[in-house]
Amino acid sequence: MTPRAQWLAAAALVLASCGTGDRKTEVEYNCPANALEIEVLQREIARFEADSGIRIRLNPFSGQDKLYAMMAAGKAPDIFYTNSTMRDRMAAEGRILDLRTVSKGDSLPGRLWPHVIRNGTSADGGWYSLGNWEFTCGVYYRKDLFREAGLNPPDSSWTWDDMVSLARKLTRPARADGRGGRYGIFIGSHFVEALELMTGADLPGEMLTLRIPAESADLYRRYVALMDEGIMPDLLRMQAMGMQPAQLLQNGKVAMLVEAVPNQSLIEAMTEPWGVAPLPRFPGKKPAYFRSASGGLSLSASTRDPGAAWKALKWIVTEASTYQPNPVLRDVDFTGGWEKRYPQLLGSGFRQVWDLSLEHNGGDPRFFVRFSSWTSGPILERLQPLLDQVWARKKPVDSLLAAVPAINSEVRRELAATSATMTMKPEFREKIEQALKEMHDHSAF
Amino acid sequence: MRLNERSQMPLLAGITLRYALTYAALMLLGALFLIPFLWMLSVSLQDAQGMFALPFRWIPDRPRWENYGTALSAIPFGRYLFNTSVITASVLALTLFSCTLVAYGFARLRFPGRDMLFAVCIATMMLPGQVTMIPLYMAYARLGWVDTYLPLIVPSLFGSPFYIFLLRQFFLTIPREYDEAALLDGAGRLRIYWSIVLPLARPAVATVTLFCFIGTWNDFFGPLIYLNSPEKATLTLGLNMLKSQVIGSGSVQWHILMAASVLVMLPNIIVFFIAQKQFIRGIQIGGLRG
Repeated sequence: MTPRAQWLAAAALVLASCGTGDRKTEVEYNCPANALEIEVLQREIARFEADSGIRIRLNPFSGQDKLYAMMAAGKAPDIFYTNSTMRDRMAAEGRILDLRTVSKGDSLPGRLWPHVIRNGTSADGGWYSLGNWEFTCGVYYRKDLFREAGLNPPDSSWTWDDMVSLARKLTRPARADGRGGRYGIFIGSHFVEALELMTGADLPGEMLTLRIPAESADLYRRYVALMDEGIMPDLLRMQAMGMQPAQLLQNGKVAMLVEAVPNQSLIEAMTEPWGVAPLPRFPGKKPAYFRSASGGLSLSASTRDPGAAWKALKWIVTEASTYQPNPVLRDVDFTGGWEKRYPQLLGSGFRQVWDLSLEHNGGDPRFFVRFSSWTSGPILERLQPLLDQVWARKKPVDSLLAAVPAINSEVRRELAATSATMTMKPEFREKIEQALKEMHDHSAF
Repeated sequence: MRLNERSQMPLLAGITLRYALTYAALMLLGALFLIPFLWMLSVSLQDAQGMFALPFRWIPDRPRWENYGTALSAIPFGRYLFNTSVITASVLALTLFSCTLVAYGFARLRFPGRDMLFAVCIATMMLPGQVTMIPLYMAYARLGWVDTYLPLIVPSLFGSPFYIFLLRQFFLTIPREYDEAALLDGAGRLRIYWSIVLPLARPAVATVTLFCFIGTWNDFFGPLIYLNSPEKATLTLGLNMLKSQVIGSGSVQWHILMAASVLVMLPNIIVFFIAQKQFIRGIQIGGLRG
């Protein structure tokens, strides 16, 4: 073989090695930075890859700094988590795909509860995120403490006043050495928003401005009164102690506790007998139980193969074991699956709480979901410090109401600036300009 | 003589008392700073409920050494330790090389615009990381360096203004006569740097080594931004994964997290004790001259 032929053969070999080989479609998934979840996913991904020919590469991180840096560099993960505070903006900027375009003809949308698609829909009517988890909330209680006090456990008909009355009876003062005390109930401040639904307050989603209905203000007063009366631990003290709610109930520091349902951490931590009841009702008001709708998985608009990214997303939501049984799917027995995994749920009230939340789905009124993607930041950065002072009992609820016009005026100013400077799809711009006009016409501004 | 001694006694007693009070205050302050570490150590040897016990038990009835075993197996600790060591060693070597050389230039060489360049170098410290994060990420992405250790290591080849400042200040305290004598003996600038200035600047180099080691070892944000693959993660990312992990009883297992944190902190403590003497001298002298 001549030297020239040898060179040609070598070049052909190099080219051949570049051109062939394992060329699978790769999809990058920004999964939660959780060692256990990563380990499980990595094991299962191999099976998905063998079946579909699509390789899922995990990129575990939390927080938005990295996501925005990756987007700026045009290297966003194909699948990543978005919540309601960022989804609309990303959709308006064309950074995420309308899932309707990639799911045409697919059976998955039909398998989802209708509200799941609704929760992921933005102002232009596009479907931009697929929720991969849902929860409701309820009142967990210690059965033995109720028995000891000769009290009947709560049921679905109980009211706020019943709850307060039970909390009073279950509260025990501490001994002289500071030990042995017990509070009747603990409601974390982030669950007050769920209770607002039960008061009948009108809380439409995607609100552009801050509005505190009279029913909400009344609930805030009732909430603060629990601490004033000493039947609920002081929030500041709880924060300082850093104690987890499950431990409060397990240690008997509280007899009742409002928490997420299901709550894996609580279920696994509890060794004492417990049950869970729906949130208390308010007389004359229709029940509207909390059901989370804060976020879901979105597909990056820069994904090279939207079809493959959709298949991977579908697999994550419907098959990856860490998310199963997935409550967003209509055709899975969610409560049965959890009862199978945790037999202690049988007879605990879990099924009833869950079913009621589906039957009377009040949605998600949490502040970061309640306000629109465009104004939740400006509203919350002004509202939250005030709320903290109210919960700390340093300011009355009325001060919160008094601050609303000033907050809205600032919000309107910032929204106008955003609208003037940001590049966005026309459908979103129209909505914002219309809202600005309405705000201008409204007497409050 | 005796009379003299007697007259000095109240003075001596006063000095002793002042020293005693100063040391007592320092010890109190030291203990205050030590409390979080002792708390971490104590929680790392307790059970899951230990952290929440009221009153807190500083010394557990039965130290649970097995927590450390669990921490080691909950994440690929060995792998992350190796990754962190590779990054830290590389950054350390490149930082010491570049910063000592640049600081030497600023302290010893005369060239037009030197002081202005030094001012520019120092001014870069004013730039917050958030401002440079996205442009830097875009540049590294274009170079194809994302998900490699290069963005974490290569920048250290271009010096760090704080270390350059610290070293320059120290170099200024070394008498120029040494350089002049060496020049007369025929040594070049690099020879003087290597054979005279660097050995005399050991305390400052030890200080920079310590700062750089701790900074790189504990860096969370850099690896978070530039590393994607779980197998390339560092110990700080591993701790973060452990924090979000639901192990055993379902809730965050603080005792395991604290055990892992102690293990991650251990090299910092060892390096500090090794370099302690030089470190304190370096800080003292480095801060003397401007």
